[in-house]
Order: sequence, then C-alpha cells, then structure tokens
Amino acid sequence: MDPSRITLRKFRPTDADDLFSWAGDDQVTRYLRWKTLESKQEALTFIEEVCMPHPWRRSICIDDCSVGFISVFSGSGEDRCRADIGYAVAVEFWGQGIASKAVEMAIPQVFQDFPELVRLQAYVDVENKASHRVLEKAGFSKEGLLRKYFYLKGRIKDLVVYSILSKDESI
Amino acid sequence: MSVNLDISEGEGRVQESLEITLRPIELSDVDDFMVWAADDKVTRFCLWDTYTSKEQALNYIKNCAIPHPWLRVICIENRAIGAITVTPGSGFDRCRGELGYVLSYNYWGKGIVTRAVQMVASTIFKEWPYLERLQAIVATDNNGSQRVLEKAGFQLEGLLRKYRVIKGKTKDEVMFSLLSTDNFLV
Repeated sequence: MDPSRITLRKFRPTDADDLFSWAGDDQVTRYLRWKTLESKQEALTFIEEVCMPHPWRRSICIDDCSVGFISVFSGSGEDRCRADIGYAVAVEFWGQGIASKAVEMAIPQVFQDFPELVRLQAYVDVENKASHRVLEKAGFSKEGLLRKYFYLKGRIKDLVVYSILSKDESI
Repeated sequence: MSVNLDISEGEGRVQESLEITLRPIELSDVDDFMVWAADDKVTRFCLWDTYTSKEQALNYIKNCAIPHPWLRVICIENRAIGAITVTPGSGFDRCRGELGYVLSYNYWGKGIVTRAVQMVASTIFKEWPYLERLQAIVATDNNGSQRVLEKAGFQLEGLLRKYRVIKGKTKDEVMFSLLSTDNFLV
C-alpha cells in the first residue's frame, strides 16, 4: 500500500460507521479491554464520550476513513517518564504493515506531545505474535516476559513488555 | 504507599541470635521509624524523600501505614528496624501485588530482609487467594536488593529501561516476580 494513504487524526462523530465495522469485530477487540461494539449508536456514543475526550487517541485512517486506532496513556508522579501505547486495526488490513506504519508515525508525535516522556512502552499478550512484529518493525525493544500480569476478559495473561526511548527515537 | 527496596552489598545470612518477627506498625514505633526513614543512605533508592520531622512521621504512620492493605514492621525483640509491604492491584490487576521493603542501615548485610521476604511469600498467597503474582521492581544499581529477591526465589523477568523517576532521575529497573505456583523457600 502507498504509505501516504495512511494518516493519523482525532476521531470525529462521522467516523461512527467505520468504527463500528472494526470495533464491532471480536477478532479486532480480542486483546483489547474494549467491549466489542454492538451497534452504530454505541459506536457514536463511544466516539463522543470516550475517543474524543481521550488525552491521546487517534484514528488510523486510510484515505481518511477510520480503520483502527492508537491510544497513549501517560503516567504521573514517579511514572511521568513513562506512557503506554495500544492499537488495533481492522482485520481486512492485517498483514500489510499498516499498524507498524501507524505506530511509527505516532512515535515522534507522542514524544512531542508529552514533554516529560522518556519511555513509551507496550504490553502485548504472549500469544499475539502479529502485534509483537508491529512493535519490532516500529523500533521497539523487547525487554521481558511478565508472568500472570493481569486479567483480560476473564483470563489471566502472560505479557511481553516492549519499549522505545526518546533517545532511541532521535537516532 | 509503597516503601521501596533498599539493602546493601554483603552476604546476608541471619545470625543465630537475630530472630525477626513481623507485626503491624503502631504510633509508638515512630522513633524507631525515624532511624531508617530519616537516613539518606536508606532512602537513596526509595520513591519517597527522607523524613525530616517526627510530626511528618506520625502523620505517615497514622494516615498511610496503619490503614495500608498489608504493611508490617520488621522487628528484632519487638523493636522495629524496618518495614515490608505488599500493595495489591485493583480490578483487573487484583492478581498482582507489589512488594516493597526498607531496613535501617546498621542491620544491612545480615540476611534480614531476605528472611522477611520469605516470611511474606509463605503467607501472602494464602491470605489473599486471588493473588497469583508478587512482583518487585528494583533499580539496576541496587545490587543488594536484587540479591535479596534472587535468594528468596524470585525470577528476574526483564530490564525496564528508564522505567521511573527516582530522586529526580529516570532509572533503569529490573522486574522480579514470584508466582503462587512457583517453588520458593519457606
């Protein structure tokens, strides 16, 4: 795919139909805390009440249509040097490097938008190999396996932790 | 509040005469508390700053330490020489507890904290049946504290670069964990 077709921008209410098509898919939400959306109305509410007020959430777009998201949550206090990144992409766009490209695009924006940020990290389910590859292609380093770290959708999870530092990024 | 991990170099094997006990903290422990909490050598790796007054200590003991979900002072002959805590996660993180400990400088290098950690590990999973993972995060330059966890049977899971800000600097830290299903010394 021509990479110039992939853009990041804030969510809009007009994204509701597109959001519903991928966030209404269990395959996409499988490793997310998101509940799979069940209607276009739910999608619109989710955009207005969660996505738009979010401190840092972007729609991954192809030709300005939403096909996924990237979110960043930053810490405070002793955790202020650190932020967590999460993302997902519609199934029809898996395996084409779209999530990797989107994450690569997001990284410099995130370090700019969070001036105290030194470490951007991601926790990925040990089984979710495709997501490991997204991060590796985007320049993250694998640091370790955290055993039985938390519950997701009723199951306890082993997670791999990846990180990229602001100094890695500026090379 | 979690007290952070802090112990020096040294082989650590509890001397025969040093039997340690763990008990809840009391306001009357305040002077003993100040022995470690007001000592820069001790607080160097802690997330919190050195205490500067008894009033500050009393305030912490009353409002944070006594209500803490799981905080014990480490005692010799019932006098507090340090503290050990397990801070539980909430919601989806309920399976996880964070271990922290601190010890008066004069008692470093005798295996006291290792023994205290072993005592905690042998009871906490029974006290909290939903706890499956006890973890500890230690600065890479805190060698003594890393040895405590290794001796207590924790597994080193990874090096987390620039993980937290401690005393104004972002520090590389090591993640250790002990699972309820792991074999560990009791």
